[in-house]
Amino acid sequence: MKKGYVQVTDSYERILHWMLAISCLLLCVTGLGMMFQTFNFVGAFFGGLKSLKLVHNFTGLVFAVSLALVIRMWWKEAGVFVFPEDLDWCMAAGGYLWHVDKVPETGKYNPGQKAFFLVVAGGGILMILTGLVMWFPTALPVGLVRWMYPLHALGFVAIFAFFFIHLYLGTIGNPGSVDAMITGWMDKSVLTMLHPKWVKEMEHEGKLVVYGEEKKDDAHGHHA
Amino acid sequence: MTEKIKLYDDSKCTACRGCQLACKQWNALKASQTENRGTYQNPPSLSPNTFLLIHYQDYVDKKGDVKWLFRKEACMHCTDAACVTVCPSGALHYNKDTRTVGLDHEKCIGCKECVAACPFEIPRWDAKTDKVYKCDMCESRITNGMDPACVKACPTGALSWGEKEKILAKAAKRAKYLGGDAATYGDKYCGGTHFMYVLKEKQEIYADIHRNPGVPWSVTLWKGLLKPLSLLAGGGVIGGAFLHYMIHGPKVPHEGTGVEEKKGGE
Repeated sequence: MKKGYVQVTDSYERILHWMLAISCLLLCVTGLGMMFQTFNFVGAFFGGLKSLKLVHNFTGLVFAVSLALVIRMWWKEAGVFVFPEDLDWCMAAGGYLWHVDKVPETGKYNPGQKAFFLVVAGGGILMILTGLVMWFPTALPVGLVRWMYPLHALGFVAIFAFFFIHLYLGTIGNPGSVDAMITGWMDKSVLTMLHPKWVKEMEHEGKLVVYGEEKKDDAHGHHA
Repeated sequence: MTEKIKLYDDSKCTACRGCQLACKQWNALKASQTENRGTYQNPPSLSPNTFLLIHYQDYVDKKGDVKWLFRKEACMHCTDAACVTVCPSGALHYNKDTRTVGLDHEKCIGCKECVAACPFEIPRWDAKTDKVYKCDMCESRITNGMDPACVKACPTGALSWGEKEKILAKAAKRAKYLGGDAATYGDKYCGGTHFMYVLKEKQEIYADIHRNPGVPWSVTLWKGLLKPLSLLAGGGVIGGAFLHYMIHGPKVPHEGTGVEEKKGGE
């Protein structure tokens, strides 16, 4: 770990993030293998399409558990918009789309991250509910069951598109930010640029943990 | 390619159920143990081992006369088949020659998507094998120039099988000959079905018949719009991210300050 790096996530957050991410990606890949006959070949990696279906269904259960824990963990920080600062940030598009002299400062998560979280949370719940009906379609009236399939596809459209936005902004779009989900420690200058208000808050509350510096307080990061 | 249709004429049907038995025999389907429910209709409904069923119906007409109505229920073999549209594995397919809807059980993964999609509620899922079953118009017979087993067994000529144009003409002629409320059923639905009826009474009179069936809106929305949209949206975002990186560039702090670097030329 380099000197001057700041601890931004704890291991619990990172493990849950990757549980959700890996199960979500596996669901996308196996789902695509069934959604498009062109992608049926994906089934070969799982021992056939029928096994692919089973992998998809049971991975859905892992996803459901991960999502429930992730929502519980991040809801307060990323699930609720704070006005007017979040609106100001949106008006400036977070400085991502055009030049902004000073990007309005927001809390720990900016509205873009909150929107992503809400799409994953809401879309994920939609996928779990519709997916469960699709797993046992003979248990409910056919008129109701029929609409679960387009809803499941709608959830996929949203999550699949948002996944690539998340991937870009979490890696090469914001160099240095990916460390938050790998080591949990981020370059302080990158962190200060992206989350100035949060850094100030942590400094104020004495919760900022900088590598190589003495801890001011034991309290830091996430409390599950 | 010879597109073919199977025709059922209920005015000629005596409900002998020879077709029902021939279907079981050719497809090697076991009989189910049922109980007397006060009707000759047996088994009560289609099932994984019953692809074809003769419906029995007592009907009192306006004059107070009791009539017995029969109707053969089986896969309608749509031209625009919702089951084929939704099938993820290609198990459900159009027969290249006859355009009927075949089902390859080797490929079926038991997802039951066709069960919910079918506007005629035909496919039946079997929990034991985790596969779906339905009439495939005796694909093994028709691809070898034979009639479907049910047609072969029919002693009264209520069932016939032949080229699309000839059967359509035959059905129209028969409905006209019968007169009154007699009409054809099937040729107008789902792009025209490859199994159709001539019904001697008004469609509304028949119990459990599907009135005005069509490909469900949910299937069109799902497979026609959202399915291609998913890849378009994903691809659009990848393209957008690429352009963003090239035009706007990543967010990089000015050396050691925590303030975003000012970019030249903006």
